[in-house]
Amino acid sequence: MPEGLRIHDLRCSVDGGEILKGIDLTIEPGRVHALMGPNGSGKSTLAFSLTGHPKYEVSGSVLLDGEDLLALAPDKRARAGLFLSFQYPAAIPGVKVANFLHAARQAERPGDLPPAKFRALLLEKMDQLGIDPSFMGRYLNDGFSGGEKKRLEMLQLAVLAPKYAILDETDSGLDIDALKDVGDSIAALRASDEGRDTGFLIITHYPRILQYVIPDVVHVMIGGRIVKTGGHDLAHRIEREGYDVLREEAGAVA
Amino acid sequence: MPNSAVASPNELYDVLSSLDGALLSREERARALDRFFALRSGREKPGRFWRVDLDSVAPEPGAVERSSAGLQIENSDSRVLVCDLATAARQHPQLLARAFATTGVKATKFGALARAFAGLGAFIYLRADVDCNGPITIAYAPPAGAAIFPHTIVLAERGARATIVERIEGGEGAFFCGTSEVVTEERVQLLYAVVQRAGTGARVISSRAMRPGRDAEVAWASAELGGDLAASDLSIAIEHPGARAEVTALFFPRAAEHVDVVSTVEHRAGEATSETLVKSAATESGQARFLGNIRIAPHAQGSDARLRDDALLLSRNAHVDSVPALEIGANDVKAYHGATVGAIDEEQVFYVESRGIDRNAAERMIALGFFEPAIERFPTESLRSEIRHTLAEKLS
Repeated sequence: MPEGLRIHDLRCSVDGGEILKGIDLTIEPGRVHALMGPNGSGKSTLAFSLTGHPKYEVSGSVLLDGEDLLALAPDKRARAGLFLSFQYPAAIPGVKVANFLHAARQAERPGDLPPAKFRALLLEKMDQLGIDPSFMGRYLNDGFSGGEKKRLEMLQLAVLAPKYAILDETDSGLDIDALKDVGDSIAALRASDEGRDTGFLIITHYPRILQYVIPDVVHVMIGGRIVKTGGHDLAHRIEREGYDVLREEAGAVA
Repeated sequence: MPNSAVASPNELYDVLSSLDGALLSREERARALDRFFALRSGREKPGRFWRVDLDSVAPEPGAVERSSAGLQIENSDSRVLVCDLATAARQHPQLLARAFATTGVKATKFGALARAFAGLGAFIYLRADVDCNGPITIAYAPPAGAAIFPHTIVLAERGARATIVERIEGGEGAFFCGTSEVVTEERVQLLYAVVQRAGTGARVISSRAMRPGRDAEVAWASAELGGDLAASDLSIAIEHPGARAEVTALFFPRAAEHVDVVSTVEHRAGEATSETLVKSAATESGQARFLGNIRIAPHAQGSDARLRDDALLLSRNAHVDSVPALEIGANDVKAYHGATVGAIDEEQVFYVESRGIDRNAAERMIALGFFEPAIERFPTESLRSEIRHTLAEKLS
């Protein structure tokens, strides 16, 4: 069994200010972790620190199945098996969705699918996500609605079938139908041979998406620290009580 | 960059008497050469980045090529007349005269130079309502070091449809000064694409003008991909309502290459639309300059003119100057202009890298994508692939 995505004492600064103040977290293969917290608590910073955004100064250690992730450039982290679903995916005009996904799949799993089979896979996953086939010929995220961008992120997740996937606020801005499609897509990936062992870190502000993807573990982040870890019921408690009670508890502990 | 010392005018005049007198008399040629020496190019002067003075560019008298070697014509439609310029002057003088020297290019400095040494070239005549099968290709490949002055003349009668591809190839150190003139009647649909892939050290100067008829749809699509110096004028003069004009240009100087493109769309009649799209990149010490003219005459009400130009700077010493120039004389018009100049966005690079694609490949992908909206306006998939491939080579 792979060792998991093991994060130890991860700290991160941007422009001199410390945002992550020592994160310890292990995502086991095949398990779903939810990371919840109010705006500005450092959730997205964690996602970018793990994937290697050049703006972030990071210390600590992150091992992906034993491999030292922080020593790697962003593309190598992806090839090691890490995937980020962006909260705000960049548009790349002139690069067609199908060509981009093929290039990404080739980079991460060189030569494993001939073009015709890749196309079939793409069509199947698009159908699963309720994405019109005409998307293949559109420019990547260019002129896409918020919902279309999120579906495209989920399409990439499905096509790349990474070892560990971080979903950064994939639920924000989605209506119930789109949310359900996202949930179905994750469920389909987890049921497939390729995605059976994918470990998930689902970053969210609202517990809503957790009705569609049931987490094994729920963490709450406040002020750059994980202040509480529990089961699915922790998400329900946040839904009822909000973050303030937890913030007070965290304050009492600190 | 070869040193472009001004040739002795006398020696250039001496060459004229040895040229085709049936096409243009010695006197007409001499008057054109007078204009060349008298006129200013109106182009960028040498400065901090730009190092070529177009006002001092002239061919070497000894390099003037008199043979028509290097012209290739491909046309698969027997209903279309395509012949070399000398043949057109002898066998179809009335047809040729309806288009040749009718657009005003001869009044420009380099149009006049091309006229003085006219001889090489092609004439394309599309009869009314002919829908030409497949593109007509005219290729100019001057010998290394030669100076050529090609004219590509197109006359399209009402309702005709055609795609024309002009290729400029090879010719290391060659001097190319040519014109294209396209005259159409009403309802013509015509796309004229230029792919310039001249060799190292070549200087390529072209003056191209179109006069579309009523309800005609005409387009220039120009890719300046070779040579050390490329100066290109692309103009469309709309004199009849209902016309739709499109100008597309892409260029990518690297090393010490200089590219200077001027597009001009004149709305002299109303109820016509024009759309200009320019995509450029520069790397290493590559220099580029784009001047986009849109002129809407006071009576040209209902004109709709759009101009979009984007430039990508890929190195610290690369430079692109982008100058829009809109002169709008009418009040009931739509005119839009948008321009960007900048480096590749780091957020785009990170996004692509996060999908396992390394930084170099990510930058290449983003830069090629940047050109794609312009590439898509070129005809045939094989031509588009060739352009993508050439750009990719420049990026590597």
